[in-house]
Amino acid sequence: MADKCETGIKELDAQMDGGFPAGSTILIAGSSGSGKTTLCMQFLVNGAKKGEKGVFFTITEPLFKLMGNLEKFEFFDKSLVENGLITIIDLRIIFERMGLDSERYTVEDASALLDVIKDIAKELDVKRLVIDSITALCYRLQTKEMIRDFIFKLGTFLAAKECTTFLTSEIPPKTFSFSQYGIEEFISDGILFLGDVDRGGDLIRTLQIVKMRGVSHSRAKYAMSISSRGVELAPLLKMR
Amino acid sequence: MSTTLIDGLKERISSSIAMYESVGIVLPGTNYPDLLQALFGCVKEKPNDRWVYITATRPFDNFMKLFGDVSQYPNVTFIDCISRSSGIVRTDEQCIYIESPTMLEKITMEASNLLTQTPEGAEKYLILDSLTTLMIYNDPTLVTEFFYQLLNKARSEEVHAISLVVEEGELDKYINKLIYLNDKIIKVRDSFI
Repeated sequence: MADKCETGIKELDAQMDGGFPAGSTILIAGSSGSGKTTLCMQFLVNGAKKGEKGVFFTITEPLFKLMGNLEKFEFFDKSLVENGLITIIDLRIIFERMGLDSERYTVEDASALLDVIKDIAKELDVKRLVIDSITALCYRLQTKEMIRDFIFKLGTFLAAKECTTFLTSEIPPKTFSFSQYGIEEFISDGILFLGDVDRGGDLIRTLQIVKMRGVSHSRAKYAMSISSRGVELAPLLKMR
Repeated sequence: MSTTLIDGLKERISSSIAMYESVGIVLPGTNYPDLLQALFGCVKEKPNDRWVYITATRPFDNFMKLFGDVSQYPNVTFIDCISRSSGIVRTDEQCIYIESPTMLEKITMEASNLLTQTPEGAEKYLILDSLTTLMIYNDPTLVTEFFYQLLNKARSEEVHAISLVVEEGELDKYINKLIYLNDKIIKVRDSFI
């Protein structure tokens, strides 16, 4: 059995008999405000607290805003960033420095970007990696083939390093789809779907493991709460 | 408000909760203030035990008004499900506010989290006030499932559960079924106290 990569969110780990298979690439799909970034950060922080280095590539949020939001959570420890156990990188700065600021990438551009991400992962010797979001990155790749190639090569490289990867996928609200381009879910080893249910006009956040290769897992829908403690789960009460 | 009434009620609750894991209390609305006095009498008598009080009936600031200062009960933490949805916005050290009484899973999560902080050797108590109010805001089947989950979780984690039902005329058929999930039921009648 493959080694497990614990998220540190006990109800989530319990659904997968201990955690994600180490080295897998997981798509975290959800609409705006569904908790993708918080879940990913908690995954990185809990890993770092056990000594596993992690890197967070952001494309959607400037660093100061991201850090400002993180400091509100009890699970977050700024010293993990200061001590280099967690590295947060604004990919847009890398785009600029590499001259990759065009709206549409060529195959060579995509390959150069992939090499940079791989080099950073190798250099930092990370065991956990997050790209927030793969949707924003894929937007610059011109064809489905390029998207497939990019995620496949990245996933293969990181799997060989036993680095578990979270790719966040932005989807429109109230839709049960996993990606914008319809490719990402087929290359990923697992899918976590973050949605919501309407109860009397109130939105209850939900989390469901839709797919997870190499591990038997629950497919039940869970209620998800985001508080100062971070993400917590409880079995979702069912309307009949 | 008669001290004899309250003492009698307190005695019945104390002896029942000592013998049974879960106790349901059915009472007329007119006796609700007496019951609160009796329940908080029990809380005060067990200062080393951990109490979690889920209120969907009255906002937390009502308890402040009723008891003057709830910090005299440092061993109890409130989960207030009603203030936010009534437009009351405040923060208090001894209270966790839930946005809406429809967020039943969130109530379970907060209660569970509070009870895990119980010091070793202390008993754990959970008061649900009340099933009747939760039925107003939620589909009865949801409240049924919620109560099943809550009681089962309480039993597995050795938490004593006290659930309240405020009786106004005939009891709702769902509540009538639910209340019998408890190990013991106390029916409060003026003549019994």
